[in-house]
Amino acid sequence: MTRWGMALDLKRCVGCQACTLACKQENGTPKGVFFTKTVSEEVGHYPNVTRVYTPLICNHCSDAPCLKACPTGATYQTDDGLILVDDDKCMGCRACYVACPYKHRTYLSKEALEKNTWFPGHKTPFEERKLREFQGGTVVKCSFCEHRLAEGKEPACVITCPAVARIFGDLDDPDSHVRREIARRDGYQPLAELGTDPSVFYLE
Amino acid sequence: MTTKYAAKETYTVKSTCKMCLHSCGTVVKVEDGVITKIEGDPSNPANYGKLCPKGNAGIMRHYDPQRVTTPLKRTNPKKGEGQDPGWVEISWDEALDTVAAEFKKVIEDDPRKFQPAINDFQRLYNWAWPASFGCGNFFSTVGTYCGGGYHPVNGIYHSTFAAVNDYKYCNYWIQVGGGDGFSSHLHVSGSVKRMADARVDRGMHVVAVEPRLSVAAAKADEWIPIRPASDRFFVLGLIHTLMHELNQVDEEFLTNRTNGPYLIGPDGWILRDADGQALMWDTVTDRAVAWNAAGAVPALEGHFKVGDVEARTGYTVMKEQYAEYTPEKMSDLTGIPAETIRRIAKEFVEAAKIGSTIKIEGKTYRYRPAAINYYRGGQAHSFSVQDNMAYKVLNILIGAIDAVGGHLGVLLDLRQSWEEAADGMLDPKPHQLGPGVPFSWPPNTTHLRDFFPIGVDPGQLNHMTFQDPEKWGVKDIMPEAMLIYHANPLWNMPGTTEFFDKLMNSIGFIAAIDVVLNESSMYADIVLPDLTYLESYNLLMIEPPSTYGIQLRQPAVPPTGKCRDATEILYEISERMGMLKNMNDIMNFVQGFVNAPEYMLEADKKHPVTEIYDRFARMTQGEDKGLEWFKEHGHNVVERMPSISYDPHPYRYPLYNEFIMKTGADLKKNFEATGCPIDWDFSQYVPFPDGRIPPVHKEAAEYDMYAITFKDTTVNFSENLSIPWISDIVYRDPIHMGLLLNPKTAEKKGLKDGDLIELRSREDAIRGPVKIVEGVHPETVAVSNAVGRWVEGHAIVKPGGGHFNRLLPSDLDYTCLVTGGLESVAKVKIKKLSAAS
Repeated sequence: MTRWGMALDLKRCVGCQACTLACKQENGTPKGVFFTKTVSEEVGHYPNVTRVYTPLICNHCSDAPCLKACPTGATYQTDDGLILVDDDKCMGCRACYVACPYKHRTYLSKEALEKNTWFPGHKTPFEERKLREFQGGTVVKCSFCEHRLAEGKEPACVITCPAVARIFGDLDDPDSHVRREIARRDGYQPLAELGTDPSVFYLE
Repeated sequence: MTTKYAAKETYTVKSTCKMCLHSCGTVVKVEDGVITKIEGDPSNPANYGKLCPKGNAGIMRHYDPQRVTTPLKRTNPKKGEGQDPGWVEISWDEALDTVAAEFKKVIEDDPRKFQPAINDFQRLYNWAWPASFGCGNFFSTVGTYCGGGYHPVNGIYHSTFAAVNDYKYCNYWIQVGGGDGFSSHLHVSGSVKRMADARVDRGMHVVAVEPRLSVAAAKADEWIPIRPASDRFFVLGLIHTLMHELNQVDEEFLTNRTNGPYLIGPDGWILRDADGQALMWDTVTDRAVAWNAAGAVPALEGHFKVGDVEARTGYTVMKEQYAEYTPEKMSDLTGIPAETIRRIAKEFVEAAKIGSTIKIEGKTYRYRPAAINYYRGGQAHSFSVQDNMAYKVLNILIGAIDAVGGHLGVLLDLRQSWEEAADGMLDPKPHQLGPGVPFSWPPNTTHLRDFFPIGVDPGQLNHMTFQDPEKWGVKDIMPEAMLIYHANPLWNMPGTTEFFDKLMNSIGFIAAIDVVLNESSMYADIVLPDLTYLESYNLLMIEPPSTYGIQLRQPAVPPTGKCRDATEILYEISERMGMLKNMNDIMNFVQGFVNAPEYMLEADKKHPVTEIYDRFARMTQGEDKGLEWFKEHGHNVVERMPSISYDPHPYRYPLYNEFIMKTGADLKKNFEATGCPIDWDFSQYVPFPDGRIPPVHKEAAEYDMYAITFKDTTVNFSENLSIPWISDIVYRDPIHMGLLLNPKTAEKKGLKDGDLIELRSREDAIRGPVKIVEGVHPETVAVSNAVGRWVEGHAIVKPGGGHFNRLLPSDLDYTCLVTGGLESVAKVKIKKLSAAS
């Protein structure tokens, strides 16, 4: 079996946000919706201080709390481990949003979808085309660019990352680049103690 | 292409990015006529398929509803803040006829009354357009701020436009005030990869020296906070330690590949024999011999008597002067502990592996895997030439200049030439962007370019001369017409709003060529809409740090509205001014067609850009690689060949820079011969960097804080904040929205997060909210490049509290009198305006 997963290399990441905007382009996410982004945090006190850049993305957990919380079956898990949302089944109750310990889901209201255009009162041709993919009143999230995977391509955030800080691949394959790097660098899952078994690992 | 447009289908086009001045390779996807994705071109080693956040945001520039898509004419004669220009659409004919007639009137009277603000970096050749009719003015500071000193000095030491350390082989990288490999400069996306590979895969050690915890500092193995505008003193401390404490320099390299052993007389000039050849001291025959004397074994150090003349080697002159730059003294100036300076010097020179070689592709090269790298923050200071020279000297001392693993020249584009000058020296080429302006008093340029024989355009001095035209000799050439082309001079030049408002209102006619309007083009009488990079052609490669070749920008979609290519707009204006021949002459010069007459543009034709690029491609890449080849393949970019990267020439480096001395001496003669009354500090023309202290450190005590500015990748070069995807990120980041203060400083001044404060220098003031961060030097307030826009015409841009540059005095004290570079640090006092709400 394939289990898609990602390793995020904190040593390589420079917090540039190329991933954030590659995702924006690829998925056409509306204003205020980020399927992935990088946060930065100062650590320490002057002069012994640094800044840590941490990329965040849906962890596509094996044992996903959001999946369990979804009352309609809109959230589902594919055979290759992706946690996806079927917009047609989502009624926007936001139980998943509450259940996700990582806060990687976003509720997209009908109003936000309609009004939050990038330029006030104007929908660009890009938005006209891309926003068709969204339904207002649903919860939206990262799909690991499922549509790209279907074409044999890696997720948009992965291919654009200037620092090559995102390694994507099959976690079930012990010889995959991502698995080997996780092993070599002692990669760890975010909030592993929750038992959600994320498909995203961090490398330090 | 035409057929592609017509088809309702999905297609991709190989092209190049223009979201900053560099040019990463892209693949643009179009679906049913809509651009839906811009990705990096994985086949292009300039960026390996990667794009920075700005490159990922190009779609929103293209589809900006506030783009200018038709020629516009102003109907409100009143200009300035709060005035709606009352734009009305006009035809191209009316627009071009009006612009040409107005420009012609002024140019025929006196071309020096024309003011160009042309900053279209990817169409650099258009910077030369005003020269086609004899105008040498430059109403902008773009380039000068970062590269005023940087580029000429790279031209002198490397015969290249830029320089960067060797990502592939460097093991110990000191970075001073620069974003190379982390956040900005030289093809940032590819460079971030190269740097990450070096750091993580090869374990390269990085030391970042900056007043603020930049991305580089955050990712470095060590951040050394430094007092702003004191970078050179840190470097002088390192040099002192190498020369006087560790006694570790690359003697072999200094002796044979620099003019370090050349003998210097008491007057500071190199001693020469009757044939004019530089002398050095031969230890075999114990006498002075010509630099190229066969069998000589020159002394690198020592005092010698040549006839009656007391002479020292260039190296000895420097070494003796550098005795005083002890780590303790440099510590006082930089705030960096002396022991840190000593430790870094030791680590640096040990990592350099002096004397070692490496074999690459069968050839043996000098191998020095340690180097110091720098950019704007490290050298944009009052004595910028010296700051730049200090880094070069340090790299030369360990033999790392142009060595494998060391500090390498970066070509502006394909043009490469390393030539031999007298005495076996590398021929200095300070004018990488084009020829300088000959000296004249009164000056022929309002920014006094006439006084900078080896400098870049010091645009900031317009502000100084326009305030006292009589004194500066420019009263007869005050501006009467202006072209603003991909530029925002009012935003980035020093000067108060009142000053600019008065100036712009005094100019009879202003035209603009751009994609969107900004603070400056709001003063235009006519606006001419340019194409975006997604609907235009260009053939280029600018400042590639690790690659070689060229690549084609080509349209992914047809032109929007009535937009036209800026080069073709200039052709139209030239023709209507009766100056078509002038335009073709200058094009032939800047494209290099003058050297290959079969490609020369005919004088009486308006040449489409595609034709110009086709000729350029065939001339430089061979007849089989014309435009059609590039349309299909996109690029012929390859990893840079070792023969260009490493030891690209056999000549000597100017450790003792007599060329700069001589330039100053010649300039002084020109001042004297013409009776030029301007008080000029000729002492800045030095043969090697010394310890003189920038005037910013001597401001009145009430200005107790250093103000610096910074950027990161999202706000790297050119227009950013009007792109909503960019501002959506930047406006969420507190680092970019406030004036950064260290907590101890904030406490001392009774300031809290969010308090609105004013920063006032002796020149002007800006304001903004306090943001308290640990990652800033306590004597420093750091101001993001993202605050300070005040454009009224763009819905996405939040008005800020004024551009940082307003704080910089645009006078001779704050200008490097050798290169024209402008001091980038201001001394300010902080006033609390209101408490955080």
